[in-house]
Amino acid sequence: MAETGSVLSFVSGGARSRPMRAFRWLLFSDYLVLALTLVYVAALWLVVPEILSPTNVRDIFLQILPLFIAALGLMMVLMVAQIDLSATSIMAMGCVVGASIMTSQDGYLAGEPWAPVVAILAIVAIGILIGVLNGICTIVFDMPSFLVTLTTMMFFSGAAIWYTAAHTSSGSSIGSLPPAFLEIGYGGVAGIPYAAIITILLAIVVHLLLTRTVFGHWIMAVGLNPSAAAISGVPVRAVVIGCFALSGLFAAFAAIIYTARLEAGTPILGQRILLDVIGAAVIGGVSLFGGKGTVIGVLFGVLFLSTVDNGLQLLGLSLSSVYAIKGGVILLAAVTDAIRHTLMARG
Amino acid sequence: MLFAILCVAFGLLSDRFLSLANFRNILTQSTHVAVMAIGMTFVLLVRGVDLSVGSVMYLVAVVMGLYLSDVSLFVSIPAIMLIGAAFGAINACFITGLRIAPFIVTLATLFIGRGFALYLSETKMVVQSDTVQALGRTSFFGLPWAIWIAAVVAAAAWITLTQTPYGRQIYAVGADPDAAGKAGIRVQAIMFSVLCICSVCAAIGALISVSQVGAASATFGYQEEFPVIAAAVLGGTSLFGGRGGVFGSIFGAVLVQTTSNGLVMLNANPYLYPLVNSLIIFIAAWVDGRRRLMTERLEQRKIRVEA
Amino acid sequence: MSDVLLKVSGLNKSFFGVQVLRDVGFELPRGAVLGLVGENGSGKSTTMNILGGVLHRDSGRVELAGEQIAPANSRDALALGIAFIHQELSLFPNLSVEENIFLDHFPRRMDRLPFIDRRTLREQAKEALELIDLHISPVTPVMRLPQGERQLVEIAKALTRRARLIIFDEPTTSLTARETERLFQIINRLRAQGISIIYISHILSDVLRLCDDIVVLRDGQVVGAGPRADFTIERLVTLMVGRTIDRLFPERGPGSGPHSTALSVRGVSQPGIVKEVSFDLRLGEVLGVSGLMGSGRSELARIVFGLDPYSEGEIRVGDTTLPPLAPREAMRRGVAFLTEDRRGEGLMMEASITDNIVLPSLIERSSGFVHWLKPAALGEAARGVAERVRVNVKAIDRTAVRVLSGGNQQKVVIAKWLLRAPTIFILDEPTRGIDVGAKYEVYKIINQMVTAGAAILFISSEIEELIGMADRIMVMGRGEVRGFFERANFDRETLMNAALWD
Repeated sequence: MAETGSVLSFVSGGARSRPMRAFRWLLFSDYLVLALTLVYVAALWLVVPEILSPTNVRDIFLQILPLFIAALGLMMVLMVAQIDLSATSIMAMGCVVGASIMTSQDGYLAGEPWAPVVAILAIVAIGILIGVLNGICTIVFDMPSFLVTLTTMMFFSGAAIWYTAAHTSSGSSIGSLPPAFLEIGYGGVAGIPYAAIITILLAIVVHLLLTRTVFGHWIMAVGLNPSAAAISGVPVRAVVIGCFALSGLFAAFAAIIYTARLEAGTPILGQRILLDVIGAAVIGGVSLFGGKGTVIGVLFGVLFLSTVDNGLQLLGLSLSSVYAIKGGVILLAAVTDAIRHTLMARG
Repeated sequence: MLFAILCVAFGLLSDRFLSLANFRNILTQSTHVAVMAIGMTFVLLVRGVDLSVGSVMYLVAVVMGLYLSDVSLFVSIPAIMLIGAAFGAINACFITGLRIAPFIVTLATLFIGRGFALYLSETKMVVQSDTVQALGRTSFFGLPWAIWIAAVVAAAAWITLTQTPYGRQIYAVGADPDAAGKAGIRVQAIMFSVLCICSVCAAIGALISVSQVGAASATFGYQEEFPVIAAAVLGGTSLFGGRGGVFGSIFGAVLVQTTSNGLVMLNANPYLYPLVNSLIIFIAAWVDGRRRLMTERLEQRKIRVEA
Repeated sequence: MSDVLLKVSGLNKSFFGVQVLRDVGFELPRGAVLGLVGENGSGKSTTMNILGGVLHRDSGRVELAGEQIAPANSRDALALGIAFIHQELSLFPNLSVEENIFLDHFPRRMDRLPFIDRRTLREQAKEALELIDLHISPVTPVMRLPQGERQLVEIAKALTRRARLIIFDEPTTSLTARETERLFQIINRLRAQGISIIYISHILSDVLRLCDDIVVLRDGQVVGAGPRADFTIERLVTLMVGRTIDRLFPERGPGSGPHSTALSVRGVSQPGIVKEVSFDLRLGEVLGVSGLMGSGRSELARIVFGLDPYSEGEIRVGDTTLPPLAPREAMRRGVAFLTEDRRGEGLMMEASITDNIVLPSLIERSSGFVHWLKPAALGEAARGVAERVRVNVKAIDRTAVRVLSGGNQQKVVIAKWLLRAPTIFILDEPTRGIDVGAKYEVYKIINQMVTAGAAILFISSEIEELIGMADRIMVMGRGEVRGFFERANFDRETLMNAALWD
């Protein structure tokens, strides 16, 4: 009853001042990040006008695509109040295995017309398998998910490097991919790249999954209150494993797009985007406490992070400073999330 | 158990492995991991985790090589410990003040710390002063300097954890933070302090490591959190808090080092190292999870019905 | 009256506008044991929590040895010499006995060095254990001790703080008969040493045996107080339940009445939880389940719904056996379960009313391979059932459950199960923590369901409402069924006795 009172006073304005209310609205809104992005771009435009040049904008958008896909996958894991740090290693592993299958230099299926299809299936299978492994260890064996996925990250990053070394003389990357596959990265329909079409389709699928299917409702329920979900007949373990599997699957899709753009399978693929993936999801309003996340929020998060990244590079900052700043941005997003959480709990 | 199996396995595979010289070698190499694992033990005991230790290591090494090369060790060593404590305090502010999950805070500071240090070093190799390098070659009573330092840290940590009220309260907080708060223990203050201790240990670990290697490359301390956490967990420290100790962690560190040393002796493919390391940490975490489930079940058996 | 240690007078306390303590007062002499009895919710725990510094009083006086006190927290209370031994012990299983005893006042070397003086610690711990006749090594980890000895360690802890007053809250619920006996010996010894005790228990025979004075609480008021000689068990029970309470229960409409068996439980046992429980629940009837905390009533409900395991016995719904640990299978056969822990297990507090209501019905209301949902239809269904239980909120799809009152939250939990149109509804404390008006509405909903032919298992710690609502009452104690009572034989005192007697 006391709670009701305070919330009503919030809704109706109560004793709170107008700027305070505006601040609260902005804090809880998805559009906070978009607003910040616009402010950032505008500020930077004064210093480096190139940021709005057509090529740069195009660069940013192409950079966003795989990142967005991976962040969507992570979002689903975060929504069940777990974490997945292994996306980058899934990308690396999938990428080199896929490349080794279809490369024209001693590939397993070199020259076969259907090699790219098999390669894509292999990448997808790797993603799902690692995801399921993460899920089982977390929910069935009761191991902390950050540790499980940290371990799988380390293991498969190492495995990817080892695999590459075993398949090439140079040991750094597997090139000479069939043109049919590269088409994913460069081709397009009516000026829209295939990669963009795939990304948009996936985003729509995730959005519908979360809002319009039983599974989506179950994800939300498990994230908000696993005990209540279990009592209401939600198969909690299956949902958590499913989320990890989806996260792996999406990392695999991201790997396909990256590989096609890089025209090679390299084990260091994705190594650098771990922070970006987590950052984008958290900045995009996906709560680390579970249960909350929207596709549009993650999109804004990715947009924000990529713009920051791009802007810092245009300013000529070194890679290390970019790292430090990104770490700071994540910390800031986590702080915002924590503040939101306490404000919500207080009502 | 695991240790014995490893020793026998590597001993069979390589005859050099079981030599006394090699064993001493392993001990010396494992000192910095041991010291850091001791620090990590403190954090794990209160249900936390610190992923930023590798970055602290690198930051400290850079600062030492670039700015403290001219001053005496009596100034530089306290200075780097202070840096460690400050880093830990920053982590702690976010974790205890804003209640953000420790792994996300320390993941962020991992990148911030390394980024900042790389900015200082301009990603160049940072060569340490002669005094520091000389330190790495010094021995007392036939044992290298590093082992003595590790022994001192271990002794101090052991006394703190077992012989002081503070240490016992750490265990209480780890077992049940809510109950500890009700019992009048200042839970937040304890959480804060263990994070500082962990980072100070990381600074000492950096000192040891850098004195042995002589210079810090841009990948110095990179992913060092893995062997450190693995060592602590292998030594029986639970990720769920409340259980573990100093000697277990030292033992874990030696075990981790034995594995990598054994792999080197076998001339194994260096690409395999991370695979083996991650498998070890995975097994340790799996065992820890099982063990917790078992103790929980035992605890749950409250007898209500007369037997 | 120089030897009065504790004097409480005019104590008042209310939560959210509901007065739970009214002008409570009593006295406790030095070296005496005061028994405090009353039904659940009569205000025993609130009173003790105020003394122990856990809660703060609204008004009234508490005097300890002639001085007015107001402990701000449990640490404060302890410093004043008041130790509170809760039902849930606050020991750390990973620490040793001596460390638990001295956790926040370790003896130190030279008194100020930050090191524990192990020798003094051991000596003092030994002394404390000696006092309570516990012959274990002080270095034993608490993990290894049985429940009864843990309780004694808590007492040792209180003694080392020089407690003048020790409060025991239901200390014997998890103890065996032997352990209980030992506890009583120690309490008697403490009394001889001049320490005062407040002993809260449901086991009236124990209270009569142990205590010098007895205070009976009902509805937050003292309804009886005096020396033990003034009381018998019968008189205590009469005082606790009071005379007819003018609580109204809604009239149940004409229905088919009890007929075929819907749920049949045969010899269900789980070591340490329940023992050989058998009963039948018929369609069109309300079977009340009465029992004290720890009697196994909630645990039984969880077992029947498939949330907890059982080692022996059979649970049948209609003609078929229900597999163990399969809540979804139970749901498919028409079983619904309202948990006693509304916040922890019943609701997603941050989610909307609609999302909460539709959660258990999603699969049945979806279509196609991907289990497609139609939000509009779902919203419509949720609205319908929300109106049926009278959740008076306009935008149920945009209002978070968190902002609702306790009564409305409970109605949302009921609504989410009603949407599945269950034939067997297990209700565990459906009226806990909700106001009188909401209680009445919950009763009305229960009646509607029974009239429509559903079978209801109504678990409650309030005997009143079972008498008002149930067709039959099953009484449980220590995990066993103590007996069944038909409506004609409903009598507060008989029921209470059945639950209380050991």
